[in-house]
Amino acid sequence: MNRRHAIRAIVVLALAAVAWFAWRGRESGDERAIRQRIESLRHEINTSTTDGLGTLAHAAQIGSYFTDDVTIELGEGATPIHGRDTVMGMAARLQPRTAAFRLELDDVGVEMVPGAEAADVLLTASFLRRSVSTGEESRDAREFSLVCQKTAGTWRIARVTAIDTLR
Amino acid sequence: MSLTRRIVFGRHPRRTLVRVVVLAGISFITFGWVLIPVRAEGISMLPTFESGSLHLVSRVAYSYARPSRGDVIAIRLAGPHVLYVKRIIALPGERVAFINGQVYVNGAVLNEPYVRNRRMWDVPEVTLTQREYFVVGDNRGMRAADHDFGRVDVSRIVGKLLF
Repeated sequence: MNRRHAIRAIVVLALAAVAWFAWRGRESGDERAIRQRIESLRHEINTSTTDGLGTLAHAAQIGSYFTDDVTIELGEGATPIHGRDTVMGMAARLQPRTAAFRLELDDVGVEMVPGAEAADVLLTASFLRRSVSTGEESRDAREFSLVCQKTAGTWRIARVTAIDTLR
Repeated sequence: MSLTRRIVFGRHPRRTLVRVVVLAGISFITFGWVLIPVRAEGISMLPTFESGSLHLVSRVAYSYARPSRGDVIAIRLAGPHVLYVKRIIALPGERVAFINGQVYVNGAVLNEPYVRNRRMWDVPEVTLTQREYFVVGDNRGMRAADHDFGRVDVSRIVGKLLF
């Protein structure tokens, strides 16, 4: 194989790799919408406010990402949370505490449920907190499974289940 | 050709471009699929790994060999971007328990020279299935409730930490 053939082979391989990544990265409009919605929720949770009315408005905004009958299961030993109102109440009450945390979401995988306006989402949520004394940031990562439903043209979270990676 | 251009692009720009493409491709494949760079965060692997230290995970380490006791492994959560780093203390089919902070595997005390401080952890005995390993961090000086450890399915093991 002379040098020209080698260069052609490299170019073909590079193009094939680009095509493969483009094929792998393709996603439908709904998948994109769900990702944007989840990213928007993350941003909303990380935006903290401490004044009274702002806290309530913020909690209501967070609640809008969930269905009326949402169920949140945080794992063994934790009581499941039912309903959007409960989520909003918790969001309002816990804001002074959650303001110390920063939420990061990684490896968000969306899989549409065929024949239904629903999707299964798998993601890793990391709660980052900086120590006041040492300045060191600690990370608590957990895996979550979400069920999303499209209601009135908007994707909302209907179920959140924490997955025990280590049992 | 100006000196700057010659320094940046070399004497033969086309050849330089090919070299750059090949090097980028090799780096992309190596650090994407073969050796994954990871940064340890948290204190669960102290004193072996300090928080913030950089390490490499070999994804091919277990292509021809099974994970063994004492290996420090990377475990995936939903994907490859956030990983747990833990040490294997028990293998598939074995029984494992913590009694007063000491690990017992199949009823025998496990020698763990990598552990410095121990709290009195107590975990009832569990028997691992043929697809499970028992993993835990080296820092046993923290409360068991604050430490993520337990059984992990073999499909979640990403690779072995090289250093």
